[in-house]
Amino acid sequence: MEDAGRLMERVRARDADAFEVLYDRYHRLVYGVALRVLSDAAAAEDVTQAVFLTLWTSPSLFRDGNFGAWIARVARNRAFDVVRSRTLHAGSELPQSLPVDDALEDTALAHIDGERVREALAQLPPEQREPIELGFFGGVTQEQIARQTGLPLGTIKTRIRTGLRRLRNALEGAVTV
Amino acid sequence: MMSHDELLDNVAAYALGLLPPAEAAAMAKHLETCERCREEYRFLRPAVTAVAYSAEAGANASAGAAVVSPLLKARVMKRIRAESARRSQPRVWPAYAVAAACLAIAIVTGLADLSLNARLNHDRAQAAAQAQTIADLAAPDAQRHPFAGGEVLTHGDRLYLAMHGLPAPPRGRVYQAWTLAKGAKSVAPSVTFTPAGGGIAVVRLPEAATTIAAVAVSVEPEGGSKQPTTTPIAMVRI
Repeated sequence: MEDAGRLMERVRARDADAFEVLYDRYHRLVYGVALRVLSDAAAAEDVTQAVFLTLWTSPSLFRDGNFGAWIARVARNRAFDVVRSRTLHAGSELPQSLPVDDALEDTALAHIDGERVREALAQLPPEQREPIELGFFGGVTQEQIARQTGLPLGTIKTRIRTGLRRLRNALEGAVTV
Repeated sequence: MMSHDELLDNVAAYALGLLPPAEAAAMAKHLETCERCREEYRFLRPAVTAVAYSAEAGANASAGAAVVSPLLKARVMKRIRAESARRSQPRVWPAYAVAAACLAIAIVTGLADLSLNARLNHDRAQAAAQAQTIADLAAPDAQRHPFAGGEVLTHGDRLYLAMHGLPAPPRGRVYQAWTLAKGAKSVAPSVTFTPAGGGIAVVRLPEAATTIAAVAVSVEPEGGSKQPTTTPIAMVRI
């Protein structure tokens, strides 16, 4: 299987066939992230289309590293842009966009299977899993999570970190690098 | 002052995209200098990617997860294929642009060979002018006024005469371009030239294109004439 980095080189050379391979491989991830953030199938489709058209028109935005991680972050950021543009959320503070141009990107866990991740996440205690999912897909800061749950901010921070470390350890060895 | 353990907790929040923008910017700066936090960040990043993958839509409806409409792919690929086809259409360059490009390459090569020559700056200016000519000749929005054996081309205020199949002029003779200014009753002398190999001539006329109503060419004695002394071999209104 041709790796995503090589396919992106072909996309930079305006190879529509290479683009189609990337679409087939990653559109479910992009759509899934957008759908979790927006809870709106039509809006998630719009985000998916926008992400892939951006990929075609500006392929240099991706440099190297883990393509799946990169495009998932692009999808999340784009979905949050939609959230920001909605009147309901105007004026509310959303958390940071995930850094897309990231020199510290890790290529470990390069091939992740959604089903295995869901299983690993389900193994986390709810008090760790829920703030992680709420934060990543819900567009709320950890301060907002603390207010919603009535727990001290420090407790939320520690639970998030502990949960991520457990998830990382659970996935180690369960996936190919 | 935040302890390092608290900072490490914030690294997790940063990796997950949970920090307000100002705190995120501060954390990004901190990561540049703190190896311990950077290591934590590197360790946690794949877990964050995994969280994203947990939302991956299903390949088919039976998987129980959300499924992407196949119509979406059709919409996306239709736009990509159309754009790709547009880009891949062969661009037909005018023969003059090709000739000018070849000439420019020759000049650039000459410059490389004569890098210590005192004429370098002069030749560089010529090469820059040549590049401008090529760009103008190939510009899609250039105005072209064809005539038998060539065309007059304008791009912005620049005016070019391009001809092909020109025989070498008789000994002691050159070709001379003439321009008729708008509202004028007689032509004015412009540049003299001789064709390059293959009988091709691409000449930039110094007159501003917007002021000129017509261009003509005749064969004249070396040094040029003040008025045409032979019947013009070409004349075109622009």
